[in-house]
Amino acid sequence: MGELLNRDAIINLVIFALLVAVALGAHLAGDGFTVTLATKAAIFGLAGVGLNLALGYGGLISFGHAAFFGIGGYVTGILASHASSGMPVVTLPFTIMGSNEMLGIWPVAMLAGGVAALAIGALSLRTSGVYFIMVTLAFAQMLYYFAISWSRYGGEDGLSFYVRNTFPGLNTFAPIQYFAICAVLLALALVFTAVVTQSRFGLALQAARQNSQRAVAVGIRPYAIRLTAFVLSGMIVGLAGSLYADLNRFVSPTMLSWHMSGEIMVFVILGGVGRLCGPVAGAAIYILLEHVLGGISDYWQALLGLLLLGIVLFAPGGLIGIVTRRGRHA
Amino acid sequence: MLLAEQALNGLQYGMMLFLMAAGLTLVFGVMGLINLAHGSLYMTGAFACAAVAAATGSFWLGLVASLAAAAAAGALVEVAVIRRLYARDHLDQVLATFALILIFSEGARWLFGSFPLYLKLPPSLSGAVVLPGGLHYPLFRLVIIGFGAAVAVGLWWLITRTRLGIRIRAGEADREMIGALGVDIARLYTIVFALGAALAGFAGALVGSIQSVQVGMGEPVLILAFVVVVIGGIGSIKGAFVGALLVGMTDTLGKALLPGLLSQVVEASSAKTVGASLASVLIYVLMAMVLIMRPQGLFGARG
Amino acid sequence: MPEPKLNEPILEIRGLRKAFGALVATDDVSLDLRPGEIHALIGPNGAGKSTLIKQIVGEIRPNSGSIRFEGQVIDGLDAAARARLGLARSFQVSSVIPDFTVLQNVMLAVAGASGAVFRFHRPALSDRKLTEPALFHIEQAGLADRHLVQAAKLSHGERRKLEIAMALALRPRAFLLDEPMAGMGLEGGRQLTSILSELRNEAPILLVEHDMDAVFALADRISVLVYGRIIATGSVAEIRANPEVRRSYLGEDA
Repeated sequence: MGELLNRDAIINLVIFALLVAVALGAHLAGDGFTVTLATKAAIFGLAGVGLNLALGYGGLISFGHAAFFGIGGYVTGILASHASSGMPVVTLPFTIMGSNEMLGIWPVAMLAGGVAALAIGALSLRTSGVYFIMVTLAFAQMLYYFAISWSRYGGEDGLSFYVRNTFPGLNTFAPIQYFAICAVLLALALVFTAVVTQSRFGLALQAARQNSQRAVAVGIRPYAIRLTAFVLSGMIVGLAGSLYADLNRFVSPTMLSWHMSGEIMVFVILGGVGRLCGPVAGAAIYILLEHVLGGISDYWQALLGLLLLGIVLFAPGGLIGIVTRRGRHA
Repeated sequence: MLLAEQALNGLQYGMMLFLMAAGLTLVFGVMGLINLAHGSLYMTGAFACAAVAAATGSFWLGLVASLAAAAAAGALVEVAVIRRLYARDHLDQVLATFALILIFSEGARWLFGSFPLYLKLPPSLSGAVVLPGGLHYPLFRLVIIGFGAAVAVGLWWLITRTRLGIRIRAGEADREMIGALGVDIARLYTIVFALGAALAGFAGALVGSIQSVQVGMGEPVLILAFVVVVIGGIGSIKGAFVGALLVGMTDTLGKALLPGLLSQVVEASSAKTVGASLASVLIYVLMAMVLIMRPQGLFGARG
Repeated sequence: MPEPKLNEPILEIRGLRKAFGALVATDDVSLDLRPGEIHALIGPNGAGKSTLIKQIVGEIRPNSGSIRFEGQVIDGLDAAARARLGLARSFQVSSVIPDFTVLQNVMLAVAGASGAVFRFHRPALSDRKLTEPALFHIEQAGLADRHLVQAAKLSHGERRKLEIAMALALRPRAFLLDEPMAGMGLEGGRQLTSILSELRNEAPILLVEHDMDAVFALADRISVLVYGRIIATGSVAEIRANPEVRRSYLGEDA
């Protein structure tokens, strides 16, 4: 694996650099819209990086990661709207006030994502194979329907909070500055993923993915390893959800839908499963397709479907796989 | 009175879920394939029924069309796409069938638009029936219950009493062996897939008649079918039947009774909202409980 | 844990019983593994060898009976815990991590054995605490020049050696080897036999085997399992002469 790292590392850097270059270029050209698109790509990339830890490296085919994305979003929406109204979120067992500060909101979003992942993962990981896919999907749907019925925070219509949250020293309303925040968090998540997947834990995780029986035979418990990866994954995706809600200053049950889970999976697949920057590339391609194809036809999702089908059937390594001419898992 | 009505609604809901889950579990049991596009086949049947019924004026023709169209769509999809997925891992199957959902949904939207279509029931099937005890209950819902029971019996007969059924059961037990024994696997798989599709399409037409027919109607039902299959156990038709009734009853009765029960403890308006929220997650709680006690489902094979 | 006395068995199986419905796969099996010995377990197909192995390693729970490992009752421990205690097994069909190199496979075993797997910050591949023991065991198993080869690309015999290297990495107190000779050709079989003979110096071996040449060459004691029951235990000569064993398994010419 060592001698290949250089090529992969270069590809990873190039992808990230391209994203930043696009945003900077658009900013200098006065094109705020494209900066926002790049921001969306960074956020979706972050969500994909989170899923990739569980899916690509862990082999956990979770079709319910929208649960963590949406939870991060709702945490943000709830805290922000309570900050505007001045009313406390809860008064029992102790008073929790709303918050407008990103530095305060992010940890809560990540914690909520992690706790949800712990609960869902603890139950779901008792199953495997197809059951696991169906169960994770079902749990996410549960949250989706719950959010729809939760009229206090908008129910089906969602919740708007009109002011973007604050970050010390920055004007978060400015597109390029918000992009910078998202890009830095994405970079941190990439570094975190790289470190974790190269650690002993990462070794055990990837071993358990390929051969559970062998992992047990050398004294490793796959359940504990997988649950840990699942929780870390939930935390990262929760953070992405928070950033997404903040971008739109809006959160709705759509962020919890199975369609969203599918989209996050598509980011990972388009770029290549089990590759560090794959999700970033995948997210960027997805946003590009949405923008370009969406301009051509209202039914662009059918074209996306065809592309996805083509990749699955003929290019399983994703688009990066085509470039490096290797299959999955760098 | 209200309880009896809700119980019947639950039964009807369960029967419809059974039609969906049976196809799903059959395809998984025999071919080892998870098919997210099952909901799209449900939708196909519903649209076919609506279109044909509108064109010919005959609801019965519409029902037949739903079966035929869904089976045909299923067979087509199986030959073109699904066939290449049997040897692939589950991730590939999930993604490819997810892609199919996108294609089907956009295709339906292009053909029929985004607005819901409504089906008119023929006079012979509409109206209410007076049941023992004085309850007035819609005839069509009783018909659905009847259809569901008939399908259950029919499937049981097919699986246990016919040659096709023997091949299906053998295929579930040992895929390689039946190939070695000279059974035409490719044809068997296409038939099984088309059968599952037909059941889904039929369910779509029936439900579409009560509610409406629109793009995206299949996905919520698909997920419920997953819950049923998880509870009942993959590959087990019996499990699908029991699971479907369990889910149908729990969901319907829960939504009907929980707000009322809660209002005994909490004040009325929050009881209503909390009750509704809790009721919507009740079946997932049920699924979680089954998972804790029996991860392979009630009738699933261990290990 | 107190050191076992010199002649106390490392592995003690008492009255193990496992039934699947009406089928009794393991019928009151008692067996022990003494320090320094190679104890072979032989018997016809369907005798229940694999079910017995699964109970010893902890994959399935017996209905009744008990297993002691180094004097400690291990009935309540799962398979991973038993592996960490030093119960090292190999599989009938080689079970390795295909995308990992030989080195990574054995490093995994070293990490697992140490119990310190939940480490997130230090890169594993350059961790000397993993690479040095791993390289040592790889050399012990005779794979030194192949340590950077991907496991999927190894030959059948090399995969067998990889499994042995991984077993060694567990700092084993006992080996449970499941038909290691299966699929080995003549030369490979001879090599493996000599490796196994050396292995007994590391820890005693419970050797489940069909290859009677290897069994007669290696075993100190033999137990014969037929229809889930041990019908005889003894030295090679005793077993070869045993009439019931000849009748039910070895054949009259053994």
